[in-house]
Amino acid sequence: MTAPTDAASRWTNHEWRLIRDEPTAPRLHMAIDEVLTQEVGEGRRPPTLRVWEWSSNAVILGRFQSVRNEVDPDGAARHGMTIARRITGGGAMLIEPQNAITYSLYAPESLVKGMSFIDSYAFLDQWVLAALNSLGIDSHYQPINDITSDKGKIGGAAQTRRAGAVLHHVTMAYDMNPSVLLEVLRIGREKLSDKGSVSANKRVAPIRQQTDLPRETVIQRLIDTFRERYGLLTDELTTREREAAQALRVEKFETDDWLYLLP
Amino acid sequence: MVADVEVADGKIASVAITGDFFLEPPEALDAITASLRGVPADTAVVNLAQRVLEWLPKGTEMVGFTAEAVATAVHRAIHHHAPRERA
Repeated sequence: MTAPTDAASRWTNHEWRLIRDEPTAPRLHMAIDEVLTQEVGEGRRPPTLRVWEWSSNAVILGRFQSVRNEVDPDGAARHGMTIARRITGGGAMLIEPQNAITYSLYAPESLVKGMSFIDSYAFLDQWVLAALNSLGIDSHYQPINDITSDKGKIGGAAQTRRAGAVLHHVTMAYDMNPSVLLEVLRIGREKLSDKGSVSANKRVAPIRQQTDLPRETVIQRLIDTFRERYGLLTDELTTREREAAQALRVEKFETDDWLYLLP
Repeated sequence: MVADVEVADGKIASVAITGDFFLEPPEALDAITASLRGVPADTAVVNLAQRVLEWLPKGTEMVGFTAEAVATAVHRAIHHHAPRERA
């Protein structure tokens, strides 16, 4: 996909910040996303790229998914999965820290002004496709929200908009363990039975299938590509942001009211 | 998308719409379910969809599903005698 000529300037009109996490608990990640979206929307933080590290296995449900329709409680317990509900729509993600590459963009809505919801997904991940392709990893965008290769889906994006900001976050499969997926997510099993003998990992084609490069090398290339294209200053969460996220984790993301919002 | 529907006295008593869709603002989901509560269980799909559309707040963005898809899932859940039905 060719970017419109004004695309680069949309990005470089901002002084982008980079936050690289220490390994962080899944529900705290959800809270950080909400807090940083709010901070960018209200102009207290410049637009930011956050590259995640996970501290535990997790199932991350979309905002509108039902826990019992998506998650096998025994399988989730057996594999030490923390269940979390995020603030964006879309489908369930299975996270094993060493197998997932996750990032968030927090930007003023002006970055995607005039674009449809659907067009903005591809626009916000152009740099990711460039980074993957530069490593010899075949990838392209499949609307609405999939990063995919000819071998299958690499990752998925989700967005929400609030307070004048857009949150766009993506999890890509660096590697995967299909048996864990099948034991933890019911959807995996349904796809399996829908298609007869097709295994769940047919649909997902992790980066590792295309390269021997370590996960960290792929992440570094993502960051370097963003920096070369749009500029990127190293930053970290402020004390205020960290405290707000910890509070929101307790008050919202750890509560049954939120987790079982749709039982 | 999954519709969970309970029928009592020939009317939709409760309904839950869940799935991997996108909806902005998220609170619009409450309007969708409210639009269906109390509606006669034998309402046609086209009329269920019409109610959903009428109750949606202005400016709601639905990605990955439509009012018709909601109505179809609800209709199937009622008429296939199953507690829920995947659309």
